[in-house]
Amino acid sequence: MAALTIARLELFRLFGTKRGWIATIALLLIWSMVIRFVIYPAADLISSTETATFAGLILEWLGLAELSQWPSAEVSLYWMLSLYMLPFFCVVMAADQIASDKFRGTLRYITLRTSRTSVFFGRFLGQAFIQFLLVAITLASVIALVAWRAPDQLSEVLGSVPIVASNVFIVLLPYIALMSLVSVVAKSAIQAILFAIIAWILVLIVVAIVQSNFGPIEFLDWLLPGSQVSMLLKLSGWQTMQLAVIPLMQTGVLLTLGWFAMQRSDL
Amino acid sequence: MSIIESSNLSKHYGGTKALDKLDLTLEAGEPIALVGPNGAGKTTFLSLVCGFIRSSGGAVSVLGHEPGSQALSGRLSALPQDARFDPTLSVGRQLKFYAQLQGLSSADATKEVARVLDVVRLPEVINDKSESLSHGMRKRVALGQALLGSPELILLDEPTAGIDPPNVKIIRDLIREQANNATFIISSHNLDELEKLCASVVYLEKGKLVHMGPIDASDDIDYLTIRMQAVDEHAFVEACMQLPGVVGVQRQTQGDFLIQCSEDDAVDQLLLAMLAERGWSYRHLARGRSLEERLYG
Repeated sequence: MAALTIARLELFRLFGTKRGWIATIALLLIWSMVIRFVIYPAADLISSTETATFAGLILEWLGLAELSQWPSAEVSLYWMLSLYMLPFFCVVMAADQIASDKFRGTLRYITLRTSRTSVFFGRFLGQAFIQFLLVAITLASVIALVAWRAPDQLSEVLGSVPIVASNVFIVLLPYIALMSLVSVVAKSAIQAILFAIIAWILVLIVVAIVQSNFGPIEFLDWLLPGSQVSMLLKLSGWQTMQLAVIPLMQTGVLLTLGWFAMQRSDL
Repeated sequence: MSIIESSNLSKHYGGTKALDKLDLTLEAGEPIALVGPNGAGKTTFLSLVCGFIRSSGGAVSVLGHEPGSQALSGRLSALPQDARFDPTLSVGRQLKFYAQLQGLSSADATKEVARVLDVVRLPEVINDKSESLSHGMRKRVALGQALLGSPELILLDEPTAGIDPPNVKIIRDLIREQANNATFIISSHNLDELEKLCASVVYLEKGKLVHMGPIDASDDIDYLTIRMQAVDEHAFVEACMQLPGVVGVQRQTQGDFLIQCSEDDAVDQLLLAMLAERGWSYRHLARGRSLEERLYG
């Protein structure tokens, strides 16, 4: 119950405060630029009869032929862009789950009233809901584009919405969990992002060293959030859910580590 | 009923012992002063009681529960020394959030926020951000935060540090008013203020308990403390020394005179008669020594 109260406050921070609104508007402006200057012209290029064959060849050469299996060019492009772009938005937006409150001492007021477990998972839940809204809003903008450009494809596009939305959301979960973990040890949002980058690079280096000495170890390939994205792009439709177990397990591990750090942390 | 019990409680920061095997039992009732020099372990002790930090050894129980236990939600509250409110949210929104975390419904939380802001005499700041308030007002709001839901035990860490005199008076009055509803433990360097508010004192030094007992100096009958209004110091000391029963007179740092006397004589009455005879005025006369003199004299 307390975790839900904490999660609700995360939403209020984003939609009920000036700072939250500024961040939301900035994000929407960036996304509108992506729609206008990337998805819209690229969808034209892929779906135009004059260039479709050429575009198909390029995608095949890139190993992304499966992208053409999505019901419209807009959805294909959204699928590819969201898997790479939304994690960046997610890392920035979820960076300050604990850090500032802990540094400022606000967390002391909160933990006098509820457990550290509720605070940790409440903040995670709140951020997860915010990221779900982010996926919903960005996907809605793509659907609106399809409705305007190719209304005949709309019903098929709407049918693919649950697959795309749930997949992208699941991809984002370990990024939120990673920021939950690093924000416990950081003093600010920026420091949390820097810690995440450092941790990311260190894991990459360690994995490279281990694999160069002991040969390929498949399990190590899945350590980092987003490691399954390149394979995900080679799938379409409900096949994509085959890989959902990787981000879900990453989320579980990162949340366990974050919860442990939260319990041990001095406030 | 004991509100806090610690045994062998220790906290180390590297090689520094902030608390060193502290055995302490505090009972519910009148406000308790927690004093000691910087680094004595006062804030560390309060932080351990609140569950903000983990002990290095020993045990502490608060109202019969482990620090940080959910069972303490709404029963224990605190005004941590350096904690600040979230600058992005209004005072009212934040206090309501805290009240809801204590289990109050949205409607009850709204009423509770209005109540505590009334108690701290700041109902007008409900929609303000904490950053727009003065330091004194922020402390009063923080005190209001500690009063949410009427807790049984309230810990105040330096509640008046760095605050202007009008706000200090308001905070002191508030604590006095609320002391009937909860047990206060107040950590402060302002011993005059603690003497006015508290009934007992716990004195820590280098993480150890040095003294614990009543703050009331009435049993300290070998001494009188007097603050004079513009008097020749030498003449006053000489006149006092001539009174029967006076063993010694010392000038204190704050301008008070500490008169040591024998138990058998009514030196206070002789002193007042002497002052009247010489036409000297005094501002304050108290039996016993000040807390500062007893602890550090």
